[in-house]
Amino acid sequence: MRWFIHSMVGYWVLLLAISLGVAAAIYEIWLRGNI
Amino acid sequence: MFEFAIAGIQAPLFLLILTGFTVGIVGGFIGVGGGYMVTPALIVFGFPGYMASGIDMTHIAGKGVVSTIRHRQLGNIDWVLGMAMIGGTMLGVEQGVRLLTYTKTLGLSGIILLTASVVIMLVLFVYTQLETGQAHKKMAQMTKDGEKVGREMTVSRGPAFFQRIPLFPIVRCRQAKIVVSMWVIVVVGIVTGVLAGFLGVGGGFIRVPALIYIVGASTHIAVGTDLLEIAVSGGYGALRHSMMGNVDMIAVLFMIVGAMFGAQFGSIATSYVRGPAIRYILSYSLILACVGAFLRLAYMLTGQKYEILSFFAVVFTLGEMIFLCLFIVSLVYFSVRHTHGKPVPDWVPSLVVVK
Repeated sequence: MRWFIHSMVGYWVLLLAISLGVAAAIYEIWLRGNI
Repeated sequence: MFEFAIAGIQAPLFLLILTGFTVGIVGGFIGVGGGYMVTPALIVFGFPGYMASGIDMTHIAGKGVVSTIRHRQLGNIDWVLGMAMIGGTMLGVEQGVRLLTYTKTLGLSGIILLTASVVIMLVLFVYTQLETGQAHKKMAQMTKDGEKVGREMTVSRGPAFFQRIPLFPIVRCRQAKIVVSMWVIVVVGIVTGVLAGFLGVGGGFIRVPALIYIVGASTHIAVGTDLLEIAVSGGYGALRHSMMGNVDMIAVLFMIVGAMFGAQFGSIATSYVRGPAIRYILSYSLILACVGAFLRLAYMLTGQKYEILSFFAVVFTLGEMIFLCLFIVSLVYFSVRHTHGKPVPDWVPSLVVVK
């Protein structure tokens, strides 16, 4: 867990994982029918 | 769901405001309009492609004005540099649009556009990452040794080369603190304009690195000056799209509500960080947009058979906006913590300003 905060690459990976998770949730909840 | 009468669709309202807000933060921070993120997002929300471009361009114009005013207050705009670039860019955009029309007659524009986008973004990402990584390492060492570290640090040799070109007239850009031939600025404007016109984007993600690595402006000046240009070119684009009936003003209104707050935050956030931090965010934006474009390209090349590719392209487009926004907010947070003497991750002190 420490690597995710104290390494820049780790922090990058952590934020990207959170962001893609949120984006996937938005897609599933609101957008699936629109595309 | 809100019904947009002019566009003739129903779309989730809060997603529009959120998109405006997040892209506002990113645009105000790295000096781009964000068209490469917003247009695909609006298409995903259900807007027709032509209307997505019109809404995007109109909201970029509004956001550009807000960001420009804020960056002017922060002293990040060089008017001589900006005006010279605008002239060159306008010429270039016209040629880029003609090039695009030519590729359309060959029936290849979609694939060529996406391939060109992927290649350009990849090259810019690699160069920006390598250069910024070296500058970051140098700054980290200086911080460790207790030396005074300024707001900017670049290790690129491009500016020294281009500033030595002795072509009349030579201009002094007082705010940017550079002396350079006017032709260098105009040619950079033309080349980035051709690419922007051809790719159908505002071109901020090409112009900001060009201003830093060719003209020699500092990252903060490059961001502010590029936003001035975006306000002008976005205003013209918005007018053209409005005349052609490509704009749903209600959608623009909601996006601008979010973008006004986001652009203010993004612009102010630049005063909390050093140049390399902005360049890092710019390079992250490039690689994520590149992956999104690559996925769309793969989806098209495989005859739109694999829905999973479309799904990942959408998730990357939305995820990119959220990611960049979170990174910028966390840099400001770390800067505030560092200023108050609280512990921050090891990679942070050399990237943020102690206010």
